[in-house]
Amino acid sequence: MTRFHSYLMNKILWFALAFCIALTLNFLLPRLIPGNPVDVIVSEMTTGGALSSEAAKGVYTAYIAEFGLDKPMHEQFLRYMGNLARGDLGISFARSPARVQTLIAQALPWTIALQLPAILTGWTLGNLLGVLTAYRKGVLDRGVFPIFMFISSMPYYCLAIILLYLFAVHFTIFPVAGGYSFAMTPAPTWEFFRSAAEHYVLPFSSLVLIFIGGQSVGMRAMSIYELDADYVRYSRSLGVADNRIIAYIFRNAMLPQITGLALAIGSMVSGALITEIVFSYPGIGSLLFGSIRQNDYPVIQGITLLIMIGVLIANFLVDIAYGFIDPRIRARTIGER
Amino acid sequence: MIIKNVRAYYAAGSGPEVKAVDGVSLAIREGDVLGIAGESGCGKSTLAAVMSLTARPPLNVKGGEMSLNGKTFSLVEQAKFPRDWHGKMVALLPQRAMNSLNPTARVRDFVVDVVRAHDSTVRPRAAIEQARERLEQLSLPARVLESYPHQLSGGMRQRVVAVISTLLNPQVLIADEPTSALDVSSQKQLVLLLKLLLECRFITRIVYITHDLPMLSNIANFIIVMYAGKVAEIGTTQQIVNEPRHPYTHALITSTLDPDLRVREHQLEGIRGAPPDLRYPPTGCRFHPRCPRVMEICSREEPPIVGEEERYAACWWVFEQSKTAGGKEAQS
Repeated sequence: MTRFHSYLMNKILWFALAFCIALTLNFLLPRLIPGNPVDVIVSEMTTGGALSSEAAKGVYTAYIAEFGLDKPMHEQFLRYMGNLARGDLGISFARSPARVQTLIAQALPWTIALQLPAILTGWTLGNLLGVLTAYRKGVLDRGVFPIFMFISSMPYYCLAIILLYLFAVHFTIFPVAGGYSFAMTPAPTWEFFRSAAEHYVLPFSSLVLIFIGGQSVGMRAMSIYELDADYVRYSRSLGVADNRIIAYIFRNAMLPQITGLALAIGSMVSGALITEIVFSYPGIGSLLFGSIRQNDYPVIQGITLLIMIGVLIANFLVDIAYGFIDPRIRARTIGER
Repeated sequence: MIIKNVRAYYAAGSGPEVKAVDGVSLAIREGDVLGIAGESGCGKSTLAAVMSLTARPPLNVKGGEMSLNGKTFSLVEQAKFPRDWHGKMVALLPQRAMNSLNPTARVRDFVVDVVRAHDSTVRPRAAIEQARERLEQLSLPARVLESYPHQLSGGMRQRVVAVISTLLNPQVLIADEPTSALDVSSQKQLVLLLKLLLECRFITRIVYITHDLPMLSNIANFIIVMYAGKVAEIGTTQQIVNEPRHPYTHALITSTLDPDLRVREHQLEGIRGAPPDLRYPPTGCRFHPRCPRVMEICSREEPPIVGEEERYAACWWVFEQSKTAGGKEAQS
């Protein structure tokens, strides 16, 4: 077990290093976008003609000082790291005085509720379709499978727009935009959930339909490879039942699929950015999109930090999960025979 | 067990089929070890796949039947064999034991699946216990049951596979080149294990397929020599090794190394050429393009079968020989 511990420590150290580098980039990248967030805010204020240029200048310097943008870059960096260490993501520039944590906390549940079920459903259906097309062939392989391949080869916002046009604009079965009816405020009432469910169908199906094809093509290829393996022939020669053999194949073909699942979950927060924008879904994607347009550094940083943590954790878990599924990988990593 | 007139062809794209096994019949009695020998590409492993009921497309069985314990089935529809035949009547000892065990399952889990496939009332624990007992009877370590395949050595893996194949006491064990990937000492251990399995009467018949004639003479009491999908010669091991009749058998035997003093000085002869393309098998006798005794008739007509059911050769030259010998006997 000590070998396993040192393996684990080694992994953790590498991930910590990756995390530090990513944090630095996370700080720098938004600041490399041309333009100044305060310009945007002030220009919005002055367009109404409500402010004199004198006052605008005052507001401008006040905001610059407030956000610490007058300080040199390294000082900003230290302040950012210091705040981060206290778990403080700062104040949104564009929506001040809202705190970044609050904005993210409002948007995150919508994204997770949309994405996690979509990814899991798509993954499960895709893998089942993959194994079955490999094993059964026939109509499944020549009819159903190509249809999903066709769907998944279009960009996912295309499918979103097609669905939106067909089922919300042409046939007005589902609402066009939003996560719930604009006339409501989120509350745990029956009507609210009904409205949320209505708004859920289109973005959810656009994600699932895209995901199925991508997953099944990998699973199908792996399963066909495994079907040809000697152990399948040998098990058959001894009369082992078909469902047991499919179970062997499933487990052995699954490794790359697990990676796909973990990475999809890890990058979930950013995964459906455009889907959320197309459907004006009140999730992280819409928030990130708005923030980038307004040069809202703290929100961008907060969200990219979240994405980064998600991806790192997913990768870490994949490494561990491999060992559980395949004893040969476990043996090699901990050095047992 | 008797199999009759097996024909098994591989579908090969749009071209003609590969006639890998073309009209092979054989019989094996209880207690016998039947060896099948020949170069690679002569249809041995195809025959093994057909006999072990594991032929799958692109290998198509075109004809033939199998009789065992008073029951006769057509080999053409392999999927229609009752489940019990797989593993209980005929069992396969495969060519590459290295990859024949599921890499992500412990040996004991596979044993459970094999036993329960034939009797779902057996509890997993009882199945493992049955395997443990069997391993102990054969003086193999029972701890292999707890192992994953990658934790076993190549030789041990092949022996474990042999034990699993014979766990249900099959009537016929089809050993398809089980030693070809093993070093010499592991080969010996496997042969000893097979002999022990026969001695303990866990199995009663072995069909042993190999290109290794010296190995075959250690374990088999009958030998069939195959060439290009057909039987060239059948006889007891003694007859095949000491008095080969067919020119191909003769060539096979003279091309094996023998540490005997008398043959040490000789140059090995070998066989010229390579086995034919079985999409377009040669006319007449399929060996005639390589045969040192080739006659004019060989390329025109199928060779006759010369001899009895258990000792014959399919060859024009042997036919001529036996005629002149018969003629001489008649004269004297």
